Amino acid sequence: MSKSAPDWQSPEAARRLARRYAAERRFRALGVASVSVSLLFLGFLLFVMLKNGIGGIDWAFLSGSDSTDAQVAGIWSAFKGSLLTMGVTLVLSFPLGVLAAIYLEEFAPRSRWVEWVEVSINNLAAVPSIIFGLLGLAIFIQFAGLPRSSPLVGGLTLALMTMPVIVIAARNAIQAVPPSIRDAALAVGASEVQATFHHVLPLALPGILTGTIIGMARALGETAPLLIIGMRMFAATPPTGITDSSTVLPMQIFLWSGEIDRAFVQNTSAAIVALLAFLMAMNGVAIYLRNKFETRW
Amino acid sequence: MSAGFVLILLLALGALSWWMARSRAQALYAGRGSLKAMPNYHGWHMALWTLVPALVGWLAWNAAAPGMIHAAILADPAAAALPAMDMERNAIVNEAIGAARSGGFGAFRPESAALIDPVKAILARFGWIGTATTLILALAGGAYGYTRVRREFPARTRVERAVLGLLLAASLVAVLTTFGIIASLVFESVRFFGFVSPIDFLFGTNWNPDPFAPITPEIGKKLGAVPLFWGTLYIGAIIAMLVAVPLGLMSAIYLTQYATPQFRRWAKPTLEILAGVPTVVYGYFAALTVAPLVRDLAGAIGIANPTTESALAAGLVMGVMIIPFVSSMADDSIAAVPNAMRDGSLAMGATKSETIKRVMIPAALPGIVAGIMLAISRAIGETMIVYMAAGAAARLSANPFESMTTVTYQIARLLTGDGDFSHPSTLSAFALGLVLFGVTLALNIIALRVVRRFREAYE
Repeated sequence: MSKSAPDWQSPEAARRLARRYAAERRFRALGVASVSVSLLFLGFLLFVMLKNGIGGIDWAFLSGSDSTDAQVAGIWSAFKGSLLTMGVTLVLSFPLGVLAAIYLEEFAPRSRWVEWVEVSINNLAAVPSIIFGLLGLAIFIQFAGLPRSSPLVGGLTLALMTMPVIVIAARNAIQAVPPSIRDAALAVGASEVQATFHHVLPLALPGILTGTIIGMARALGETAPLLIIGMRMFAATPPTGITDSSTVLPMQIFLWSGEIDRAFVQNTSAAIVALLAFLMAMNGVAIYLRNKFETRW
Repeated sequence: MSAGFVLILLLALGALSWWMARSRAQALYAGRGSLKAMPNYHGWHMALWTLVPALVGWLAWNAAAPGMIHAAILADPAAAALPAMDMERNAIVNEAIGAARSGGFGAFRPESAALIDPVKAILARFGWIGTATTLILALAGGAYGYTRVRREFPARTRVERAVLGLLLAASLVAVLTTFGIIASLVFESVRFFGFVSPIDFLFGTNWNPDPFAPITPEIGKKLGAVPLFWGTLYIGAIIAMLVAVPLGLMSAIYLTQYATPQFRRWAKPTLEILAGVPTVVYGYFAALTVAPLVRDLAGAIGIANPTTESALAAGLVMGVMIIPFVSSMADDSIAAVPNAMRDGSLAMGATKSETIKRVMIPAALPGIVAGIMLAISRAIGETMIVYMAAGAAARLSANPFESMTTVTYQIARLLTGDGDFSHPSTLSAFALGLVLFGVTLALNIIALRVVRRFREAYE
């Protein structure tokens, strides 16, 4: 390069600049295209499901049970199975997850042992869901002899899967509570347990609930582990209790998708619309809770 | 006695003892400083003493009772006529127990029908013993707790110690789960490798499990998992990543560097919806809409006899599913690059895209690579999409239009079939699960370590 100042006005420099600006525009267009592809895919998916399924949603469909006749088949028995399974999952994973998070954030000594707990929680959150199905099959059904295909076993399996999600969300929520709250409670004579349960936990609760709802929504849409523990059954009547054989809503979608009769396309799509609507309602509640109760310190 | 009744009774006793101890402590109150703990804590202390020993005793009883009931039935004179064969006798006894519990239904054999009345008596007797033991434990524990209600008794410290124990127990569940996963996978895999040598399984190229084939030393020749590993990697780590990495990365770059805040505010949550859609929905969409399109495309470019089930259809849909995941990981890594690096590049006259390509992405690369590893671990563990769109044919092929199978598909299929659980073909599902668990675990651990080191580098 010569010592003299480059000539910015030369045609060659102008051409180079134009090329660089064109590259800039291309890059930007690529970004727009990427975002659009994802959004269009989502829109297309929802459109296909609504187009195929919206005509199938009526009261008989929402309140009916599975049937070999596509015209009379409905989702209530599968949905009730989902509700029972989610009930078991929530009752187990919420208290366990919150208590474990409190221990790890507030009381755990910095030891090797606690490090093990943390590592295993982080890894469990990333283990493929089908592995939890294998665990449920080997431990709950083969070893403990609990009834196969039941919401009890399904709920237990999903609880183990959901617990790490709740622990991670609860730890973040507890971390976000400023230490001054804790210090103030301790300064007026509260014990550490009192400071945690009377002051820190209520303030962290909205965040914990949001995380719990998101974890539950994930569990509600889960199919693979429940396939392994045998919840793929023809549920002609709704389950009556948590030890009854049952199926769940995503499994009903899976079972109907395998039917050769074209009439089941409408049923499958309608069940998908119902499932997505329910999931979006859950996520909506989570977002509402976050916006309403979240405190920024 | 039903379980629900016993539990309600115990809870009622617990509430009663809470109230008793609390009111006694209140009666002891004689001005400031006269009680070492608040009356409430005395209440909790006594309630714990009432509930915990009784619950432990009740659970232990329920674990031990079935064996004792069985022995009692066999000792009954009515059981003398039963066949001496263990298996048959147990079946009859179990049938009689089931029938006695459900009020007479389900006794199909004459022997078990004859047993119903004595079994009913035995069940009732054992039920009473269990309930009575539980109640005695509750009352004894409660009585001890009641004697502790004294002015100088540090009830709060004791209750808080119990709470800490509960917290510790809850956090142990996570470790127990990890341990349970490893133990169950290893235990069943060891049984599997008793039939099939690990070499045949890991390096064999012929996958053709038949749960009804006779168990011979030759069975390992049909359980070579290489085609499954190939199908899993081809769909999850190649096709899906070819879709997810460029699209996810460019989405993250556009949303963080170019988009207006308003667009970002609604586009990002909308993108996240893609991650929240259940996989069974993607699977159905892949089978219903994408797979026929892919088949027509294959026909159009001149491939003979294209199938509806194809690696490409499953991989494409899986890739779209992973986009938000890659995008948010890339987002985090780009945000972690210090602003000074970007500002420096822009100040030197580089355009925005040059800065991103030459400065930000190289700086964020370790984080992005870690994010891709996590995405791969997620893609290879995905079941429903491949179950519904990729097919069952175990094939070593690089043609994306052919149907291919994956590890997760085979696990699900082997365990939902009606084969015998102890047959090597069925057990191979656990060996496949062990491989899958090991690979995803390794990917996660390496990725998290890379991310941590990368964060430290810029702090």
